[in-house]
Amino acid sequence: MDATFALLTMTGASVMLLCVLVILWRRHIPAYISAFQWQSMALAFVGAVVARRGGVPELFVVALLIFLLKGLAVPAMLRRMAARFPAQQELQPLVNTEVSLVISGCLAIAAYDVSRPIAAVVNLPTRGGLPLALALILISLFVIVSRRKAITQIVAFLMLENGIALLALLGAYGVPLVVELGVFLDLLLGVLVMQVLAYRIQETFDSIDVEHLNSLKH
Amino acid sequence: MDALLFALLVAPPVVAAALAVLAPRATVLVSRLNVATMPISVAAALWLAAGLVAGGPPAVVGTTWRIDALSAMLALLVSVVSTLAVWMGPGLAPGAGPARAEARLFRVYTNMFAATMLLAVTADNLGVMWVAIEASTVTSALLIPLHRTKASVEASWKYLLIGSVGIALALTGTVLTFVDYASTGATVDLALNWTTLVTAAPGLHPEVARLAFVFLLVGFGTKAGLVPMHTWLPDAHSEAPAPLSAMMSGVLLAVALYALARWKTLVDLTLGTTFTETLLLIVGVATIALGSLSLVTQRDYKRLLAYSSIEHVGLACFGLALGAPGLFAALFHVTGHALAKSVAFLLSGRILLRYGTHEIAAAPGVAEALPATGGLFAISVLALGGLPPFGLFLSEMLLVRAGWIAGREILTGVVLVLLLVAFGSLVHHTQRLLLGAPPAGVSVGERVTWTTAVLALPLVALAWIGVSMPSGLRHLLTQAVEALHP
Repeated sequence: MDATFALLTMTGASVMLLCVLVILWRRHIPAYISAFQWQSMALAFVGAVVARRGGVPELFVVALLIFLLKGLAVPAMLRRMAARFPAQQELQPLVNTEVSLVISGCLAIAAYDVSRPIAAVVNLPTRGGLPLALALILISLFVIVSRRKAITQIVAFLMLENGIALLALLGAYGVPLVVELGVFLDLLLGVLVMQVLAYRIQETFDSIDVEHLNSLKH
Repeated sequence: MDALLFALLVAPPVVAAALAVLAPRATVLVSRLNVATMPISVAAALWLAAGLVAGGPPAVVGTTWRIDALSAMLALLVSVVSTLAVWMGPGLAPGAGPARAEARLFRVYTNMFAATMLLAVTADNLGVMWVAIEASTVTSALLIPLHRTKASVEASWKYLLIGSVGIALALTGTVLTFVDYASTGATVDLALNWTTLVTAAPGLHPEVARLAFVFLLVGFGTKAGLVPMHTWLPDAHSEAPAPLSAMMSGVLLAVALYALARWKTLVDLTLGTTFTETLLLIVGVATIALGSLSLVTQRDYKRLLAYSSIEHVGLACFGLALGAPGLFAALFHVTGHALAKSVAFLLSGRILLRYGTHEIAAAPGVAEALPATGGLFAISVLALGGLPPFGLFLSEMLLVRAGWIAGREILTGVVLVLLLVAFGSLVHHTQRLLLGAPPAGVSVGERVTWTTAVLALPLVALAWIGVSMPSGLRHLLTQAVEALHP
């Protein structure tokens, strides 16, 4: 019983981690959005599994919200946004693919090390996925600092949020509902504002390459 | 009664934002209403603070909101600075077309921004506090490019991205603590409440607390502008419209430090103070150093104020690491900084309006062109430099004393030198700005109105609390320190 539970959540968490790696070796921005979409679906799946097996029925609501918001609405919004920008490629990331993969590997190892104390205190059957959640958080962070396009940074930020949600699901079967809903609200507002700003960058600089954002110094 | 006061505290900005959204054609009316009702918020905060000073219990609303002395103090600062900001903001005079649209945007987002900060400091639930602080980033980011210049769009993007990512790391820290608490098998309904965690903290796992604190320090530290996560701050604070700069610099930084102080208390209960205080000392002194030394070579008077904010945040962070006397000094310092910096930013907006440039070298002769504005600006900058009799002089002396008592003589000496560097640079740059002849094309002279008099009030208050700290304020600060030493 617990073994299946652990297996299912581990699978979900692994799929989520694989999705962030897509950003490292693909250059095509629509592929990033699809990766985020799959990742959110995997998160909703983990949420539903925890709700069913862990006996936390209100998590079904959360899983449904994740599916609707992060799985459908946000990717649709991102696609519409990407379609409005001429550039569809992350041509020259600050760190190239090979080095990025090596760094991500190191981050994953570091995540295992860092998560030892937390894996030691948690005694839920889902705890095996905790290092994966931390690895997802760290790698998303790395993607944000190493990629140039505003839209790539937005996708990576959303993946970072997915990582935190995964951490909460696996570590404690989710945070209290009021906080969960607040986080959703913030996420939605945040994405909307980021979208507006990305349009402004496009309007004012004729590009969404954040490399152009370098006039403010000292 | 508690619920009523809480409603009065939060309602004015919420209602103003809602009205600005719903009535796009009545922006002038909404703006005037906004200015007229914001003092209700201040009165509610004062009432809450007075109740606590008189020995009353913390105000509790439901299971999510709780206002102790520390919360009341922050709520008071936020409401005062927000009142000043909405007063000096656009929209009060009838305007047409783009000006009206800008004024409406300003009313919507500034008020939402004020409301999120008020909610952040009054939340008992630390998860809700996080939600409110994250919302404060989102609501303020869109206001920075109000005039759509390249520089402001750039500043806004950096602020939003760095701020959101930073604050996401703070959520990671929050979740880690929650996971730890939930694994003790306790009921999790109120698990993120400050009051619950204060009781539970001694039984939590020290290694997890250590990991969580690193995430929380990086997260809320980003929002507070601590080195090395400060890079967005000079851009955002200098490119934002003046009233927003006043709020971001005067109180948003204080709100982020507030969150950090709460979490430090919890982590200390689990882990002891050595770990958190060592980190805060390093980060604090590095922040003071970066802020002070960057002041030396500034060419832009709004960035000058922004780097001065970094320096002051560093000082407050230094204070957080020095035990109870340091905490008292830090809270007093944050109060003084909120008053002086918000006035300085609001006045810098007037200089910008007249001269059309941020460059110090391109804007000489402010004392002649804008005698009242220039005079008040000079006073506020001197206050920020720590000149007696203003409150910041007293708080800086208290910080130095706390550093000495805590046995950090060398670091305190370094801080003292950096304070002198900051003071010297501020005086030097302000002198360049004030003296000389205004360039051709800049009109000379200004009409002194009642709004100018309003901007003088915080400076008078700052001098007052510097000369003789009112006993009410002293009690409030003492109780706030006690709230952090349960």
